[in-house]
Order: sequence, then C-alpha cells, then structure tokens
Amino acid sequence: MRIERINNGIVMDHITAGMGMEILKLFPPALLKTKIDYASYVDSNRLGKKDIIKIENLDVDPKTLMKMTLLSPDITISTIRDGQVSQKEEPTVPPEVEGVLTCQNPKCVTLKESYLVSRFKVKWEEGSFRQQCQFCEHIS
Amino acid sequence: MEPYAFKGRHIIDTADLGTTEIQHIIEVCDRIQAMGSEAQNLCKGKILGTLFWEPSTRTRLSFEAAMFRLGGNVLGFSEAGSTSVSKGETLADTIKTIAIYTDIMAMRHPLEGSALAASQFSNVPVINGGDGAHLHPTQTLGDIYTLVKEKKDLNGLKVGFLGDLLFGRTVHTLVRLLARFGVEMHFFAPEGLHMPEYVKDSLKEQGANFKEHGEMNGALAELDALYVTRLQKERFFSEEEYLRKRNSYSVNKEMLAQAKDDILILHPLPRNEEIHPEVDSLPNAGYFRQAAYGLQMRMALISLCLGVFE
Repeated sequence: MRIERINNGIVMDHITAGMGMEILKLFPPALLKTKIDYASYVDSNRLGKKDIIKIENLDVDPKTLMKMTLLSPDITISTIRDGQVSQKEEPTVPPEVEGVLTCQNPKCVTLKESYLVSRFKVKWEEGSFRQQCQFCEHIS
Repeated sequence: MEPYAFKGRHIIDTADLGTTEIQHIIEVCDRIQAMGSEAQNLCKGKILGTLFWEPSTRTRLSFEAAMFRLGGNVLGFSEAGSTSVSKGETLADTIKTIAIYTDIMAMRHPLEGSALAASQFSNVPVINGGDGAHLHPTQTLGDIYTLVKEKKDLNGLKVGFLGDLLFGRTVHTLVRLLARFGVEMHFFAPEGLHMPEYVKDSLKEQGANFKEHGEMNGALAELDALYVTRLQKERFFSEEEYLRKRNSYSVNKEMLAQAKDDILILHPLPRNEEIHPEVDSLPNAGYFRQAAYGLQMRMALISLCLGVFE
C-alpha cells in the first residue's frame, strides 16, 4: 500500500485506528470531491495501529478541528503548501467547548432554540471523551 | 452581617448556591415570617412575571401567592398556547420582551436547560420553576427549609427516600444538597427505579453518607424523615407495569407503626396512592406544611433577588 504525496491540502495522521471514516464524515461531501488517500489500521510506533488520511486542496476550520480531536485525541494535522509542510498542529481539547458539539438529549433547549451557543464540559474518561451539556447536564 | 450578592441574581440551580448562602436564604425566610402583615410592604410596586409554558397549578400559584403576600403584583401566562410562542416566537424574544414589563420572572418550561437559556437574555432575575425533568430549585430549597423548621439540625439527620428515584427530578437535586449539610440518606425504590448512577457518583464525590436498601423493614425504624415520591405514569411502557410498581409501596398507619414516633413524612405533591389519606391526620404528615414552607421560601427568594434584603 502506498500513500501518495500531495502538493496542497492536509494530512491527518495518528488518527485512532478505525476512526478515519468518522473523521471524513465531518466534512461536507461537496468538499470531498477531490483526491483522498485513506489508510486504515497501519502500524504506528506511538499508537500501535492508526489511520491516516490525506486530502488534496482542503483546509480545516477550527470547529471541525475540535470535532476531530474529540473523536481522535492523538490526531496530528499537517497543512501542505507547495509540497512542503507549512504548519503542523497537535490539537488538544480544552475542559469546556463552545459552539462545537450538539446535545444528544432530544429535550435539551439548545436543539429547539437553535441560536443558543452550545457549551459542553469535556473530560477524558475510560478511553473516550465524556461530554456534558451545560444547559441540560445530559452526558454523552 | 456578611454581605450576600442576591440582588439581580438568577436562581437556576441550587448547585450555584453556596452553603452559607442557603443558610442566609433560610434566615430571610424566618425574618419575613416574623414580620407578619408588615411583609405586605416589602415588594410594593414590583411586578412578578409568571411564565408557565406548561401547566403547573401548584408551583405557579405558590409563586403568585408569594408575590401577593409581599405586596407586589403579578402578570403572566399559564400555557404556551396563549402566547406568541404559538406564533413561532423564540424563547429569547419572549424573555427580552417580558423583562421590559416585569421586575422579576418565575418560569416553567418543558425543555431542559430552558431557565439557564432564558437567564442569558434577561436583565431582570429569572427564577427557575422547573425546566422539563431537569431542575426545580425552589422545590428543593423549600424541602430544605421544611427539614430545618421541623427537625432543627440537619447534621446527622437520617432521611429516607421512597418511590421513583430514577426519574424524580426533585430527589436528584435534593440529595446532593442534603449531602452538603451532613444528612445520612437511605434509598428505597421499586425494581428498575433506583437512584441513577451519575447521582450516586456525585454523592460519592461529595463524601456523602448514603445507602441503598432492597427492603424498608429494619431501616425504617432508624429514620427521622421519609421523603416519598410519586410514580410518573408517562414513564412506563405499559399500564400493567405502572400499576404493579405503583402498588408495590404505600405509606400507611400500619407501616408507620414500625417507625419512630416523630418520623416526618414529606412529599413534593401531587400524590397518588403512595401515601394513604389515613396518614393525613397524623402529626407526622408534613407534606402540606411542606407546601407552606415552599411558599415562604419563594417569598424569601423574590425579596432577595429584588434586593429588598441583602
């Protein structure tokens, strides 16, 4: 298997093995009509196994970056310009996240009153992030 | 006296209140009661808005009675159908508009987190009168006041909780608050209606003294108070399951014969069959006095948030 170089775009590395498809789902389908390389369960010194995704001609906004980190806490994101790494990020999740997540409680006010800015307390617990809505306190 | 910052404050969740602040609210309850008819002047000229998007006769009337007893006026609605909400108005717009007409608001809304959301758009204090199955802080504070008035010292008090402990919103906030005051708690619930894990986790974090029981038998004799809750029919998948669980417990004279003579029986009301009417005539029946203490608590909260008391 060979992951090809890209000239412009992003490389998402150290994705939790098997989470690559979930990461791809964070992007609007229209943005994904470009060259994408996707390798799953490849060997990794740091993680044992990992997924890698390269997407040509794409940038990541901060909101999507936060969602990626919540799905895959070890993810690293490199921005490629003219074949060179112009920026490399190892994002971390702050204890409180605003305007990124959607509450899973169907009775939460934030779903009906869509202008409200969602606010979650986030805590790493037993291999995944525990997300607590600060409006209804629902945990997901 | 230590200054407290209640003027203009929203009352959304009892977790936002410090223990000394709760003690202060209780002192204000007592001070207002000691004033007798003079309390009629405390909120003269002030307007309470009662915004009730879903019916709740008891809580709404309690808030309105509290404001009338403080000499203030009340305006509001008791169902969403009679408001601009039925025309598609947002919660934020409703709140901003009614904040122009009123000095303080009490609200009940079916969505969880709605009171916190409302407080973000209101420049007058918002008191949460129940946001869905989430919080009901004035009930909780009224319950605390009841225990203080009836049992004096909360530290070391043994309080049992009987009934639906899974969905009962008043119980979840009450137990966490009682833990702060050193109350020993005993839980008794029908199968499948036990206290949720996240509430128990929170109690453990607080270092609370609590125990879950399968049967009441021996533990009942130790209790100083028993807080009973109603099963909510809408929570059950079938009528049969509801009836089976509803009939699995009932507080009656025969049961109370095994308890302390002065055990205090509480219930947030309305009740169904979980407390037999024969208990009503006993001095142990504290649930109607509890409603009176709830009214006094709401008088104190309105006065404090309006800045009548510091």
